Amino acid sequence: MANESTLGDLLQSQGISRRAFLKFCSTTATLMALPAGVAPAMAETLAGARRPSVIWLSFQECTGCTEALTRSHAPTIEALLFNFISLDYHHTLQAASGEAAEHAREQAQHDNEGKYLVLVDGAVPMVEHYSTIAGISNLQMLKEAAAGAAAIINVGTCSAYGGIPMAHPNPTKAVPVSDIVTDKPIINIPGCPPIPLAITGVIAQYLTLGTLPEVDKLGRPVAFFGENIHDRCYRRPFYDRGLFAETFDDEGARKGWCLYKLGCKAPVSYNACAHVKWNNGVSFPIQSGHGCIGCSEPRFWDASGIYQSVAKGQFGDGAKLGAAAVAGAAIGAGAALLARRKKSRLDTEDHATQ
Amino acid sequence: MTTATQTPVFPTFEQVFQGFAAQIGQLREMAPPPTMPEERRLRRAVDTLIEETNADEAVWLESCIHCGQCTTACHYFQATGEARYAPMRKMDLYRRVYQREISPLRWWYKLITRPVKLSDFEDAQELVYDSCSECGRCTMVCPMGIDTASLVHHMRSAMVAAELVPPELAALRMEQKTMGTVFGSSPEALKKMVDIIRQHYGVDIPLDKEKADVMVLSSAVDLVANGNGLLATAKVMNHLRVDWTICSDGFESANFGLLSGDMELWAKQVDPIVAAARRIGAKTLVIAECGHAYPALRWNPMLRSGGLPFEMMYMSEYLGKQAKLGNLRLRPLEGRITYHDPCKTGRRGGAFDEPRALFEAMDADFVEMPANKEYNWCCGGGAGIFLLERATRLRDESFKIKLRQVNETGAEAVVVSCASCRLNFEAGRQKNHWDKRVDSLVELVADHLIDTEAPAGEHEPTAVDKPVPVEEVAA
Amino acid sequence: MSLLEFARGPAIHASLIILVAGIMLRLLGVLVLTRGADLSRPRDAFGNFKGYRTVFSRAWPSDEFTTPTRYQTVVAYIFHLATLAVVVGIVPHIEFIASLTGLSWPGLPNWIGVALGTIALASLIALILRRLSKPAVYNSTRGDYVTWVIVALPLITGLMAFAHVGPRYETMLALHILSSALLFAYMPFSKLMHAFWFVFSRAQSGLAYAHKGVRI
Repeated sequence: MANESTLGDLLQSQGISRRAFLKFCSTTATLMALPAGVAPAMAETLAGARRPSVIWLSFQECTGCTEALTRSHAPTIEALLFNFISLDYHHTLQAASGEAAEHAREQAQHDNEGKYLVLVDGAVPMVEHYSTIAGISNLQMLKEAAAGAAAIINVGTCSAYGGIPMAHPNPTKAVPVSDIVTDKPIINIPGCPPIPLAITGVIAQYLTLGTLPEVDKLGRPVAFFGENIHDRCYRRPFYDRGLFAETFDDEGARKGWCLYKLGCKAPVSYNACAHVKWNNGVSFPIQSGHGCIGCSEPRFWDASGIYQSVAKGQFGDGAKLGAAAVAGAAIGAGAALLARRKKSRLDTEDHATQ
Repeated sequence: MTTATQTPVFPTFEQVFQGFAAQIGQLREMAPPPTMPEERRLRRAVDTLIEETNADEAVWLESCIHCGQCTTACHYFQATGEARYAPMRKMDLYRRVYQREISPLRWWYKLITRPVKLSDFEDAQELVYDSCSECGRCTMVCPMGIDTASLVHHMRSAMVAAELVPPELAALRMEQKTMGTVFGSSPEALKKMVDIIRQHYGVDIPLDKEKADVMVLSSAVDLVANGNGLLATAKVMNHLRVDWTICSDGFESANFGLLSGDMELWAKQVDPIVAAARRIGAKTLVIAECGHAYPALRWNPMLRSGGLPFEMMYMSEYLGKQAKLGNLRLRPLEGRITYHDPCKTGRRGGAFDEPRALFEAMDADFVEMPANKEYNWCCGGGAGIFLLERATRLRDESFKIKLRQVNETGAEAVVVSCASCRLNFEAGRQKNHWDKRVDSLVELVADHLIDTEAPAGEHEPTAVDKPVPVEEVAA
Repeated sequence: MSLLEFARGPAIHASLIILVAGIMLRLLGVLVLTRGADLSRPRDAFGNFKGYRTVFSRAWPSDEFTTPTRYQTVVAYIFHLATLAVVVGIVPHIEFIASLTGLSWPGLPNWIGVALGTIALASLIALILRRLSKPAVYNSTRGDYVTWVIVALPLITGLMAFAHVGPRYETMLALHILSSALLFAYMPFSKLMHAFWFVFSRAQSGLAYAHKGVRI
């Protein structure tokens, strides 16, 4: 937790030059698809920003979203920004625990009523006893925190869409946050985990402009999730030319050909992985040789197999088709036999009357 | 052979045609009216179709994709351009009945399609009688190979059950059903004709021999109108010196069961012929130049002809085989000719080679029509259509296709081998003032026989002043 | 469930079941009917066997009819062959077939798939225009038009999805799969069954005519 009173103070104390900070702001503004002129205003506002109160709720999650944000080889502006927010409550990161921690949360909620941000990672089990904190169920805690929140930001696919806890057979009856909270603005920043810049970009916009970014019909910021990964993928020319890796160590894989046949879900996935990439632009799954698993999409885990290409049908095995063929043949043959009986009956009647 | 010219006794075919046309005109009044209530007629029609529909018909009914190619091949459509004469339309009603009564989805069809009415069959009458000669040309082009002619035949069977046969055919069917003959021909008329031929032409026809190798059929047209046909047949058979006969209890080629669609009558007409042939121990049955008689006998699906002790052949087939064996001594034929394969003996019968062997034997300047053999255009008058007054326009217009075909060959004459074709060609020749001749194959062959000695039983011809009128011959 | 999940899951599954059951039903429902016997003696001993030839020879109209039927025959073949090439040649389709049967083979480069799909669509349009322009020849019924639309939809949506034009890819893909599902479910109950019937209907007529010694 930072002690400096403004963000500008914090950054200065960490040796971040004004120039670097301006660069960060204009990058963020661009990524957020905000007008270019906003960058200086953003910088000034951010520099003088007071620490906003943020309550971070972690429910059925793996902590990967927090890790993505905090783990870095070198301190990044994103990390510093993250540090700057008055993270009044975070299970993993906070020093306090037990009653003291809960008391801190309740205090923050009370003091900043209507103004604090709630960031959520992890899904919410409807069978409440599967996940509790200090005896309070996730569902209960969410409802309380959401009551006085200015907005909810779902970090990661689990809170945004239910994610892996919600995957079949879903024994905990996990649901996304938006199933529970329906009366507050919600932004989804999905991904498993999401790209850190997406998270900080949304927060940055909120801090500077007081608004939440434009979202698509799945509640995701269009700036980061408006484009198909397939359209930005550097391996697209190989897809177009019909050059595919068939297995993970064949000639195509080694030559970096398209991973469509190995189950890459990029054509139906929307995220910034292919151009913003991960670890400060080092790489992303496809570049590392593994197909996109579509982790920013709802129900990505159940929708299809990781290594099953987009084109493959999703309906179990073909035994039912065999059964259908047999059933059809039987009914058809039966219909024909009945027709034959009718015909011979008419034949007999006809001959009888002669 | 005497050198005295024989004065013709029998009318020319031009006269035959005119006399015949007059007779046909009277048929309409003789048509029997419907006797059964409409419901019963409809039920009988539907039941007939059910009884006659096998997997073959079902497959064909299912197969039509409305590609329209059949219209290319059909003379009635080409002559008129009217949508309803497209061959594919002929199976519409049959398909509706099939879908509702036989198809595997019939319970669904019964639920959602409107019921079939007798008026539907009435509307279909024109499609299966007037405008379809069951010539099979559409089957030649259909990408699905649908045998429209067979389907039309089953529809005619249904029409018989529904008492919806067109008047002229209905009258003749009734006459043949009740009297076994048509146009007033009879064993007596046959005997009379045999006598006239012996007396006027000195040509002997062995009638009613107890045993014979070859049994020859005649037809009502020859007995009642075209005496030259029987005369020519006799000349050729005598020339061949075969042991032949005509049986007065089984001589009629024409089968109005087949023409009207009455399967029962078809069988009933065939039985006495087969019985007679068995009785006399015939080895060959020769069918007169009566096109539909070929499918009625040779290709009769109800008759196990493989088990019969005799072979059945069409006149042109028999003569052609004899020519190939060198048994016919023929003078060369003058002038260019072409040949019109009757649909029932050519495309629907398979006897292409034999007539052509005859032309070769006559050293003829023979030219094929542009569309020939299995692709030959129908003359438009077959399957009884020549008899239907209602179909006159259709016949006349579609005949123009034949006119063009023959004209393109540059031939002076077109040879035909079927009474129906011949009548239709003659009608067309007269109506269009056509300058080509229309010859019958058997009469042509008879006219070109070289007889080196007098055949047995020939006398001096009796001079007569005028040809014997048609009515007197028929009496 | 999103549209794509519905299309790829229950929709295509149900339609394939209907397709398979429907085809078997209709085929057997007809082929198990009686076969009438033609008792007449065939013209020659091998006659009937030669009749099967018609199944193949009828693939192209005889010279007698070539001129009047040429346009339709050619365009129809272009349509069938281009569509077949797309159905078995492009990688997403091969993947789908592989998921059903386990069989797979190399696919075509995408641009060839797009070109063939465009040719297929263009020829399909040419065919409907011809059908509309000659009503007396075609005697078209409602079924003819409905079938055309149901065949055109997968072509159009597939082309748009594959070439990545139009709405978002997953939407276009969902529409393509749904329209294909419609085609599969409709096929057994329509004239599209000619894909199976043609073998039998040609063979039957071929045999009937060969019986009499006529090659058709």
